[in-house]
Amino acid sequence: MSRGEKKRGSRGKGGSDMTKFGVILGVVALIGAGWLFWSVRGSVLGTPATGPLLELDLEDQALYRQLAQGITSGDPTGTIGIIEFGDYQCPGCGGFALAVKPQIDLALVQTGRAYFQFFDFPLTNMHPHAFLAARAARCAGDQGLYWEYHQELFRNQSSWSGRQSAVGAFLGYAQGLGLDQDTFEGCVKSDKYADVVTANMSLGQEAGVSGTPTIFLNVKGQGLRPIMRNDFQSIEAAIESALEDLETAGN
Amino acid sequence: MSEDATGLDASPPPLNRMVIAVLAMVGLFVALYLMAHNVGLTGPIVCGVGDCGTVQSSVYAKVGPIPVSAIGVAGYLTLLCLAYLGVQPGNRGSPFIGAFLFSGSLGGVTFSAYLTYLEAFVIEAWCQYCVISAIVMLLIFLAALPEVPRFLRRVS
Repeated sequence: MSRGEKKRGSRGKGGSDMTKFGVILGVVALIGAGWLFWSVRGSVLGTPATGPLLELDLEDQALYRQLAQGITSGDPTGTIGIIEFGDYQCPGCGGFALAVKPQIDLALVQTGRAYFQFFDFPLTNMHPHAFLAARAARCAGDQGLYWEYHQELFRNQSSWSGRQSAVGAFLGYAQGLGLDQDTFEGCVKSDKYADVVTANMSLGQEAGVSGTPTIFLNVKGQGLRPIMRNDFQSIEAAIESALEDLETAGN
Repeated sequence: MSEDATGLDASPPPLNRMVIAVLAMVGLFVALYLMAHNVGLTGPIVCGVGDCGTVQSSVYAKVGPIPVSAIGVAGYLTLLCLAYLGVQPGNRGSPFIGAFLFSGSLGGVTFSAYLTYLEAFVIEAWCQYCVISAIVMLLIFLAALPEVPRFLRRVS
């Protein structure tokens, strides 16, 4: 046998096995590297925070109070405040926002009889996009259009609720309202306000909120009183009653 | 070692070592992904099943200053290199590579089992990537078992 034949002979089956091995290893390496690169790249461009922060330390009371802020419409130093803990993906909150809140705005806030304050309470175990929606609304607030965006989210609730990802829809509403796209997108695709929304949720839990919408009346000097029914008449009646109590207490 | 007349290694490449190499590469990428998260390169960790965030932010995600994922990267890389070297002609019968492969995978599977125990009973949360890594490590260990008789044959 010539030397060449002997060489070929010894490399026979071993050689093709090594080739297969090399190919498989190479393919796994390519897939692995591709997956890794795609995962990291996505975040360098900014991954939106879509859930509450687990590492948020709320032991510091000052920090807690600073973060657990609602958004206020009207004069927050007023005597009567209507407090809502809400979830943008909750149908009941949608109903409230579209039917009751406009009446509150017209009859109570604009007349100075009460202010309205919205706190985020996304029911994250049921509503996958609610946390992001809360953050997006606050991002819109950075550009002065919080309430417009707030209403837009509720108005289009059925459209974005069922989607796999709501980011596209949220960016679309911002565009529709004339917000600066780059700023808004940069805000949404980050973890900005994740701590604020998490603190809001914590505050709600402390206040005994379990479902949404939950409405309280914040009476100056008397604290929070829950309102059992969310319709406008009940809220107005509760305010009347609170004002009477204040007058009686004053005498 | 079987040789032909030219003195070249004619033994077939050990299948178990090829399997270990491929598995170790899979484990390596999983560990690299977790390490990327631990050093802050990725955002909030995306978990299809389970609660990765809780596990990755627990005290057990680190051994002193070193993230567990870094230990995983080092371990898988070592196993990958050993297994890869171990299929090259000339090394196929090597008892040393076999010994290191077996002991390395034994250490790895023990450490993995400990981490899995922590997830189940102490942290009480599952991270799907940790579970995948544990399964990969177990498979590597099973694939390394043939090294024991191979080693014993060589040294006897």
